[in-house]
Amino acid sequence: MNKQTKVWLVLSIALSLVLAAACGGGPTNSTNPPANTESAGAGPYSGATGTVSGVISYDGTPPAAKKIDTSADPVCGQKNPNLATDDTIVTDGKLANTFVYIKEGTVEGGKKIGDYTWAAPSTAAQLDQNGCHYAPHVMGVQVNQKISITNSDATQHNIHPTPKLNPEWNQTQANGAAPIEKSFARPEVLIPVKCNQHPWMKAYIGVMRTPFFAVSSKDGSFEIKGVPPGKYTVVAWREGGANGTEKTMEVTVPANGAAKADFAFGGAATTSVNPSLQMMPAIEFPMLGKH
Amino acid sequence: MSKGLNRFAILVACATFFLIIAGALVTSNDAGLATEDWPLSNGQVFPEMVGNLFWEHGHRMVATTVGMLTIALLIYILVKEKRSWVRKLGVYALLAVIAQGLLGGLTVKLLLPLPVSTAHATLAQLFFCITVSLAVFTSRSWIEAQPLPEEDTRKGSMPLRYLCTAALVTIFLQLVIGATLRHSATWDQHLPTELIVAHICGALAVTIALGKATLTTLKRYKGHTFLTRPATMALVLLCVQLILGVLAYLTRLASPEDPQPLHPMIGITVAHVACGALVFVTTIVLTLRTYKVLGAPDSAWETNSSLKAELRTQG
Repeated sequence: MNKQTKVWLVLSIALSLVLAAACGGGPTNSTNPPANTESAGAGPYSGATGTVSGVISYDGTPPAAKKIDTSADPVCGQKNPNLATDDTIVTDGKLANTFVYIKEGTVEGGKKIGDYTWAAPSTAAQLDQNGCHYAPHVMGVQVNQKISITNSDATQHNIHPTPKLNPEWNQTQANGAAPIEKSFARPEVLIPVKCNQHPWMKAYIGVMRTPFFAVSSKDGSFEIKGVPPGKYTVVAWREGGANGTEKTMEVTVPANGAAKADFAFGGAATTSVNPSLQMMPAIEFPMLGKH
Repeated sequence: MSKGLNRFAILVACATFFLIIAGALVTSNDAGLATEDWPLSNGQVFPEMVGNLFWEHGHRMVATTVGMLTIALLIYILVKEKRSWVRKLGVYALLAVIAQGLLGGLTVKLLLPLPVSTAHATLAQLFFCITVSLAVFTSRSWIEAQPLPEEDTRKGSMPLRYLCTAALVTIFLQLVIGATLRHSATWDQHLPTELIVAHICGALAVTIALGKATLTTLKRYKGHTFLTRPATMALVLLCVQLILGVLAYLTRLASPEDPQPLHPMIGITVAHVACGALVFVTTIVLTLRTYKVLGAPDSAWETNSSLKAELRTQG
C-alpha cells in the first residue's frame, strides 16, 4: 500500500468518525423553560374561583385495540391474558385519557395566571405497574410534585421516562421493591414513559406549573376546579403521531361559575402522519400489510 | 502454518458474527436499557431471563464468551505465530474487544446517547473485520498464495487493489451511516428523513464501488478462485443486502403503528445488519487478497524483505 493510499484511507476513516459524531447528539434542550420559580410579586391566589369542565368525544370509528404478545414474560400473560393497546379508549363516542389543561390566560384584574404562585401538592401522585400495564395511562402532576411509582406485578419492571426538557432516567424495579419517588422540575407536555423490559407498556405524564389540568375519564368527562375567573386558552392533548395531537379553545371562567370546553377528536386527528413520507414523496412505497 | 490456529481463528470470527446478530436483536427489540446497571444485570451475574432482559443479558453473555475466545486466540497466536504483524493484530483484536465492552457499558450508563451507541455498533463491525482478517492471515490459502501477473494499467485503468480499497472505505462509511440511522430512533418513532436519504445515497455509492471492484475482479482474474470466490460472494451478498435494505425500510416505516417490536421488522432489520457485516468482511477478504497476490513496484508484499523472509519460514 503506497503512501498516497494510506493517507486517503486515514482521511476516509477520520471523515467517517466526524460524520458519526456530527450525526449524533441527544435531544436538544435549547428551549428549556426555567424551572418552577416564583414570579415576582404575585404570590398565591386567594380570590373567587370557577371551574372548567367538558366532554371529549370521538367522531367516527375508533381504531380497534391491538392484542399484545406477552409471551416474553409469562407473568404478564398469566395476570393479564387479554392485554391490548389502550391508546384510544372510546365508550359510546366518548374518549378517555385525554389530557386537558389551561395553557395560559389572564385572570380578572389583569395578571397572567402564570404570575401567581401555585405550590405543588404535598401528596404524591401514584403510578402503578399492574398486569404489565401502567395505571393510569395518562396523568398530570405539578412541577416538583412527587410521583410514587409502584410495582404490583410478580416480575421486574424498568421505568424509563423520555422527557425532552427534563433529565432522563431509567430505573429497574423488582417485585416487592419499595416505591420509587421522583419528580420533574420543568413543565413539559407530555413526557412519554416506557418500560424497557416490556416494550408495549406506555404512560404519559404531563408536568404543569399550575394545578389546572385533568384527564378525561371513561365517559369522556373532565373537570378542572379552582380556576380564577378570567379568560384562558384550554388545550386538550391526546397521544398519537410523533408528538400527540392538540386542540385548543378559548374560554371565559366566571367567578363561582363554570365554563364549558367540549373537544372532539376524530379519525382524521388520530391518523398517524409519517413525517418521512411527507418529506420524501419520490420514495413513497406502499406500506406492507399489518402483522 | 498452524491448522489448529487457523481453525480457532475461524471459530472466533464465527462467534463474533453471532455476537453481531445478538447485538442487532437488542436494538431491534428496544432492549438496550432493559437493565440499568453494567456489567451486572440488575445486580446479578445470571438474572432471570424474561422480557427484554433475555436479549440484553443474552447479548452480554455472548460478548463475554467472545472476549474470552479473543484472549485465548491471542495466547494461541503468541505461542504459534511467528509473523510479528499477525501477533500485533492479535493484540489489536484484544484491545478492540475490551474497548467494545467498555463502550457497551458506557452507552447503557449514559442512556444510549447516539454517538456512543453508533461508536459501539461501528467498532463491532471493525472488530469482526479484525477476527476475519486473522482467520485469513492464518489460512493455508493465504500463506501458499502465489503472485499473479501484474496488472496492465498502462491504459489508465485503476489497479484492482485500489478499486477494492475504495469499495471497502465506501462500505465502512455506509455502515457508520446505517448505525447512526438505526440508533437515532426507537421502533415506535419514525426515522429521521435526512439519515434515510444519506443511507440510500450510501447504498448507491456502495453498489457502484463494490460492483465495479467485484466485476473487475471477475473479468480480469477469471479462473483465479483466490480472488474470484470472495468477489462472487461479495456481489451476491450485495444483492441480498439491497433487497433486505428495502424490506427493512418498509417494515421500519410501519413499526410505529405496532403495539411493540414485532416480526417481520425485527427479523428483517437484524438480517440487514448481519448481511451488512458479511458484505464488509467479504470485501476485506477480497481487498487483502488483492494486495497479497497483485504486485506493484511499491507493494508492501514485494519490498518488505523481512516480511518475505518470515513468509518463507512459514512455508
